Amino acid sequence: MSDFKKIRSVAMRHFSNKLFSVRMAIMLPILILFIPGMAWGFSDPKVMLPGGITPSSATEVMFYTSLGIVFGATMCAVLLSFDGVSKDRASGVLEIKLSQPMQRSHQSVALVIGHWLAILVPTWVLWAISFVIVNYRMGDWPSLLDGIVSFSSVALILLWYVLFSLIASSHAREQGTSIAFGIGIWFLFTFLWALVTTMVAFASGVSIGEENDPKWIDLEGILDLFSPNGVFHHLLETRLDDAERGVSPLITWTVALIWSILPWYWFNSRMNTIQP
Amino acid sequence: MSDVVLELKDAAFRHSISSRSLSKPFGKIQGTGIYSINLKLRKGQILGLVGPNGAGKTTLMRVLAGIFPIQKGEIMYGDSKTNPLLPTSELTLRSVVGHMPEQVRWQGKVSVKRTLEDIAEMQGVAYRVDGILTIVGLSEMKDSQLDQLSQGMRQRLTLATALLGSPKILLLDEPFNGLDPVAIRAFEQLLQELAMKGVSIIISSHRVAGMVHIVDRLALLHKGQLLIEGTLKDIENEFELDSRIEIQGPGKIPDFEKILQGSISILESQNTEHGWTVIIRTKDDSLLKKLVSSNIEISTWKVKDADIVEMICAATGQDLDEIGFGVVSSTMMPYKSRGEEE
Repeated sequence: MSDFKKIRSVAMRHFSNKLFSVRMAIMLPILILFIPGMAWGFSDPKVMLPGGITPSSATEVMFYTSLGIVFGATMCAVLLSFDGVSKDRASGVLEIKLSQPMQRSHQSVALVIGHWLAILVPTWVLWAISFVIVNYRMGDWPSLLDGIVSFSSVALILLWYVLFSLIASSHAREQGTSIAFGIGIWFLFTFLWALVTTMVAFASGVSIGEENDPKWIDLEGILDLFSPNGVFHHLLETRLDDAERGVSPLITWTVALIWSILPWYWFNSRMNTIQP
Repeated sequence: MSDVVLELKDAAFRHSISSRSLSKPFGKIQGTGIYSINLKLRKGQILGLVGPNGAGKTTLMRVLAGIFPIQKGEIMYGDSKTNPLLPTSELTLRSVVGHMPEQVRWQGKVSVKRTLEDIAEMQGVAYRVDGILTIVGLSEMKDSQLDQLSQGMRQRLTLATALLGSPKILLLDEPFNGLDPVAIRAFEQLLQELAMKGVSIIISSHRVAGMVHIVDRLALLHKGQLLIEGTLKDIENEFELDSRIEIQGPGKIPDFEKILQGSISILESQNTEHGWTVIIRTKDDSLLKKLVSSNIEISTWKVKDADIVEMICAATGQDLDEIGFGVVSSTMMPYKSRGEEE
């Protein structure tokens, strides 16, 4: 059996184990509520968002629906992957896996892909359903390129959170630490990053929260590159006409690549040296 | 003599331990491990690896399983005359070794069969799962959840993972823990059948008595160092632990020196209110006859097997009080040097 086939089949085992787990059954209603639910709400012709904004196109509605990804799907990614390594390590099963004739780096790739697919597939399905809902409510489809960018961005943010959780899981000796680390990171980037942005703005003498102040907009745009959620929104904004936060699409995609490569490299290095 | 399939030459591995300080927040120092291990394993041989807690048995097993990379020395593997002994990588080791770790806590709602398939997929041998489950006696439990398994069943499942890839070498770390006597007997029979088929087996245990009847040779490990390796008889001879007989009888202890006229050495003697007990060392086959003809009343007569404590005491020159519970001390071995500077 070739290395590629081995990685694929092991990844598929992780994928199906996680996809049909009790945990996923509990999380699925949350995902349905957050993704198609938000798409339904934001595509209401009478909707008025804070700031007096009314979404006018399917792409714009899907941009706002991406909040469901940030609040729901990323949390589910963390909850699905937090014990990806630590559970096996605590039970002694990791020792068996490390003694198998499969390179550790290949095992780590299979772990990442399996866990990533387990959250990506249901999220993508719900994301696609959201597209249909928006079309049903507004009679508008996003363009093909908008769709590709949208699906790719969703895939990337889920990959990042899966990687963070697996890194935490591989460093933790027990699952409590692992889940605390995963949820902590999710909490930091989802809620506390606004505080970090505000503090940096204050220290830089930029007026805080002034949405028409170009300095505030630029600073927020740059600081968002240091947060996976921020990069996710930068990626989606590349397809919005009136979004200009001083970060070019090239920089956004480059940073997205860095957010993918560095944690993956970290996790792979960790798995190469991990001891049972 | 059968072919050597695995050889360790001065193999050493020491664990890294965090040693944090202000100047070196991520500092590491070398901790305990195994030192300068030289060991040969022959085809179809069953080797018992014995030693007290913390001796380095599990570390050595993990080195042999390709989990820990050796830091010094060589591990050589070869399985035939056309494939002679050559230094080998961890990945190659993992492809020929089946490793059964100690006390794996299988848990979850997943079925036994699916769990084994998950591991088998890493070797591309998922088609062998049903057969292996039959061999280890779990075929009727294959649809049970892991949470429903008893400790013995979990041990069998761990053994099944070790047998998946038709290993040439089988490493079993405390395999009899949690098994009932019937399962132990079946397990031993399975090991002997595997050895007959040419599989070399290393069984690690802190108990000698439980495995002397199935192992061909014993290796005694203490504080990370291989003290001695050979047949049980060789080791007993080396440490003068052979030809020992424990005798018990009622009344007052007889004067054995006078009766047997110096053909024995008395190792221990004890007088209690219920009678006496002596342990003597002798090669005199007519000892029992002489005692009976001297009208000495005997209630118990048994050959005394050497246990691990006696072996370690004999090998290191220490007594039980000195050995005590100090299992992770890095003090110097009295028996022989580690071959490296501290």
